[in-house]
Amino acid sequence: MFNVERTGSEVRKLKYNDSKCLGCGICTEVCPTTSLRLGPVVPIARGLIEMDLLSVNADSCVLCGLCSVACPFDALSLTIDGTPIKEMDNYPTWEVESEICDDDCVYCGRCSIACPRDAILFERKLPDRESLLRGEINIDDEKCIYCGFCEELCPPGAITISNVPTSSVDLMNNSIEVDTSKCVYCGICKRVCPQDAIIEICSTCMLQDQIEVPEITGTTYIVKDSCVNCSWCAEICPVDAVNVTKPFAGKLEVVETEESVCKGDSCHACQDVCSCNAVDIVDGKAETNLSFCNLCGACISACPQHIRELTRTSMKLTNINSESWNECLNKILDE
Amino acid sequence: MAVKIDSDVCGHIENCPVQGLCIKLCEQGAIIEEDGDVKIVPENCDDCDLCIQNCPNQAISKA
Repeated sequence: MFNVERTGSEVRKLKYNDSKCLGCGICTEVCPTTSLRLGPVVPIARGLIEMDLLSVNADSCVLCGLCSVACPFDALSLTIDGTPIKEMDNYPTWEVESEICDDDCVYCGRCSIACPRDAILFERKLPDRESLLRGEINIDDEKCIYCGFCEELCPPGAITISNVPTSSVDLMNNSIEVDTSKCVYCGICKRVCPQDAIIEICSTCMLQDQIEVPEITGTTYIVKDSCVNCSWCAEICPVDAVNVTKPFAGKLEVVETEESVCKGDSCHACQDVCSCNAVDIVDGKAETNLSFCNLCGACISACPQHIRELTRTSMKLTNINSESWNECLNKILDE
Repeated sequence: MAVKIDSDVCGHIENCPVQGLCIKLCEQGAIIEEDGDVKIVPENCDDCDLCIQNCPNQAISKA
């Protein structure tokens, strides 16, 4: 976390938020005064060094804001008189998004589990189990010997037996209770009861026409501040309810040479720095699934063998109005 | 091929900014601590070069 601030005819302030930084180094590529420096991303990712991924030379920074608009992950923000330049009409903006369509979402929650950034908040309301079932269950206290067979075997744990004497005066102070909100009328208790003390009838199938299946409701929400547009949510969604626009189009390849080859499990630097969980070590080699990769490029500089090659062919940074800024920002692309 | 450490530049754990980062980074056991100093075990080295790339003193190079 750093701030660079200077007051002249206007107040300019550059804020760096390390929690949003992926260590990609795009900002260092576009900085015209080479004031930004990327730290040791692999040791930081492994928790061996506690420091920010990015540092700034505040003396040489001219507060131009190029890094702020170039960062697709909003880790850097330049404000002029309190207003972020990314909110100003004449400055470039990233047209990226990750959106969940409420009408299509079935609240399965798979996106929330898959998200490598824990950026998806998810909750749902399921109907009460008893509203989906019909049946009856009764236990004859006179016949029950509190053996506990039914309690132990009951699949949903609906039976509670108290069969330990709590008083020397009243040895048979026992009880058996069925929680009908849990009982599914499966009949296992009835079948296992040595005393024939349980009466259980399931009428769910017979009465199925009368049982209304309620709509499942919920909320699935992507926290923009944590999302890096990796597309895990969109890829894993079984009903295509998620739309992700990634910051870049292009490719990432591993080009091995005679001297430099991927060391896979020995190294796994690329896997450690990947914010998208897009890298796996398969058969001793790092494999990147581009479906989940946002082409940030953090793995490129992390690879000690320098065999990862990133080619960004286009980006969703729009509204670049100045020719000189266009020249600087196009350094992010490779064509 | 393994790696070698330039003894003049190396922080020898005690003066290393991360107290032996290379030892912590190497999961192959090719760089170990012995008598308070850094020691290379060449037979364990997989030539991944992680240590070379990340040494804060740039003291490690190819043997």
